[in-house]
Amino acid sequence: MTTMDAGPATSAPSLVAPKGLGARLRAFIGRVFSTSLLSSGPRIRLVALFFFALYGTIAGRLIYLGFTPEAPSVRKAVAAAPARPDLLDRNGEILATDVKTMSVYAEPRRLVDKDEATELLTAALPEVNAKELRDRLASRKGFVWVKREVSAQQRDEVFHLGLPGVGLIAENKRIYPNGPLGAHVLGFANVDNAGIAGVEKYVDSQGLGDLSGAGFSLTQADLQPITLSLDLKATHALRDELAKGVEHFKAKAGAAAIMDVNTGEMIAMASLPDYDPNTPPDVKDQNLINRVNVGVYEMGSTFKALTIAMALDSGKVNLNSHFDAKSALTFGRFKIHDYHAQNRSLSVPEVFTYSSNVGTARMALGQGVERHKAFLRKMGQLTRLRTELPESAEPIVPKNWGELNTMTIAFGHGLAVAPLQAMMAVGALMNGGYLITPTFLKRSEEEAMKDAVQVVKPETSEAMRYLMRLNAEKGTATKVDVPGYFVGGKTGTAEKVINGHYAKDRLFTTFFAVMPADKPKYLFMTIMDEPQGLPETHGFATAAWNSGEVTGKIIKRVGPLLGVVPRATPPVLPFPILAKLGYALANTPAPPGGGGH
Amino acid sequence: MTRYLNIAVILALIGSAVYAYTIKYQTAFRAEQIAKTKLEIKAERDLAAMLRADWAYLTRPERVQELADRYLELEPLAPDRLMLAKQLPERAPHSDAIGDKIEMLGLGVASTPPADPASAPTTPKANAKAAGH
Repeated sequence: MTTMDAGPATSAPSLVAPKGLGARLRAFIGRVFSTSLLSSGPRIRLVALFFFALYGTIAGRLIYLGFTPEAPSVRKAVAAAPARPDLLDRNGEILATDVKTMSVYAEPRRLVDKDEATELLTAALPEVNAKELRDRLASRKGFVWVKREVSAQQRDEVFHLGLPGVGLIAENKRIYPNGPLGAHVLGFANVDNAGIAGVEKYVDSQGLGDLSGAGFSLTQADLQPITLSLDLKATHALRDELAKGVEHFKAKAGAAAIMDVNTGEMIAMASLPDYDPNTPPDVKDQNLINRVNVGVYEMGSTFKALTIAMALDSGKVNLNSHFDAKSALTFGRFKIHDYHAQNRSLSVPEVFTYSSNVGTARMALGQGVERHKAFLRKMGQLTRLRTELPESAEPIVPKNWGELNTMTIAFGHGLAVAPLQAMMAVGALMNGGYLITPTFLKRSEEEAMKDAVQVVKPETSEAMRYLMRLNAEKGTATKVDVPGYFVGGKTGTAEKVINGHYAKDRLFTTFFAVMPADKPKYLFMTIMDEPQGLPETHGFATAAWNSGEVTGKIIKRVGPLLGVVPRATPPVLPFPILAKLGYALANTPAPPGGGGH
Repeated sequence: MTRYLNIAVILALIGSAVYAYTIKYQTAFRAEQIAKTKLEIKAERDLAAMLRADWAYLTRPERVQELADRYLELEPLAPDRLMLAKQLPERAPHSDAIGDKIEMLGLGVASTPPADPASAPTTPKANAKAAGH
């Protein structure tokens, strides 16, 4: 370091240039480490610049990190089952809710020893297939599920394994506490909590699916519960009675529903066989379809109500009109018979209570094919009915609708509709003439009336209620005449088409009942597929004996649940418009007995 | 003079620093508490949801019906057992048969002063008492 003491002279390159390489190097080092005041100024600046750059880089990096969003971790990137809104019945009872469960996942890239992990995990979770798990862990994916929805004990076990790259996520699991009650309305959600069918799917289509798809993790608190129109207790009573009926009459299937005719709300609905949404079934199983709105059927004599309403509404026919039912009606090579043949001329109420095919066929012919078609279209019977439920069915309408079709459709053969669709039409005939699209969500009468269309006159509706009531007093629907409820009803028996022919012994029976007939509130429907005749029904398998019987039991049981107050005496003037029109007879109760079943 | 001022300033500085740190630690403490409470609320909410689901499961009509069939001797509610309160008959006017009889026989009202409750045989209990004597 002696050169350093040489002073400023050493800084002159010309003086040291001729020396040897070693000396030059020594001089260079000497200059670099020289503390000479002359050269320290720029050096300090250089050092300052260096530190400025260093701290500037650090500060810049910090700012950059502060502004860039945190890279999403693997845990957040996966679609853990999102929360769904609770589904409640009309009284606030829970129909579907979420509970938290834990799921085990693994990040294969972070696993240290895959074989060891497989071994330990399969020991803790015996349900997991070891080979399959090893394959999954061997993949190059960032995230794989080990097992969804583990028990609390298994969760603790996995946690205590302490494996790096294996973790637990809290997930939402959909629970249906009432099992199969209302299953066809609710639908179900899959393991990822996405709606697959029914109202669950409808909820997703209303934007929930998009929100969770876009990465919004909604919590239960953010979601307003959705109130359905169903009444849990009524649904249970309905399903219970229907199940008993289906078993008793050895029917292949059955369905029942209750609708509020003034709001279109479906109060209860069941279709058997059904399923438990907690263990989702095979969606493609045709036997499990919702027979109320997915199956289409020829509704049989219940369609006579529509035919008679059309005739009455046209003004050409009134309650005193008579129709020739002296003999079977012949059309070409077809012959239309009456089941309860009276072989005489029948008045309109008689056509209804004796359920005369000939009478209704003549009535429809009197209106003509085009008017018949137009009326049924107006009543929503020729187009697909869409409700909140994503499942629906197109009615089967004859391609070439001729006079024969009109004649058969008049008594419910040759046109297959969804029973819910028929309910909507019958509801309109009952409630004063307003066609209201059925709904599965709770709504008020005002809301329902906003979209309602007046399809028949109020007096026609009242006449239909009178006919229904008359039919329950002395016609084919006496089985539903629950004392105090002033019920009206209509049976319907259709022969099923087997290999292109109507089979006499394969019946599809329907029953519609309205309660109370003077101020309609609830419409009941029961359908049964191939019920069998029993000794106590004298071998008959027609609607009154099975569907009618079940409907009567349902009314008896559901009436008090729905808070319908029975009346000790029948209403004094149940049909005021008819009285004004001069049908005083309508307001006097008919003597009991009379008609056949 | 300046020295005292300096001391005062230093003290003020220390004081404000202590105060600032107290606030800071309190804030951190409160923030921690809030986070903890939030977690607790979430846990309680989840638990409540679980319990609600449990309750709904245990009170499902299917199960209640089964239990009622097994343990209760109740019958299903039938329409003919329902009535409005106003449909019930009015309460019959109060009658005192024995009193009427006594009066009819002309055995003066004075002998049985109505103010004496023991003498009014209206309730079974009073009757039993009277019979015991």
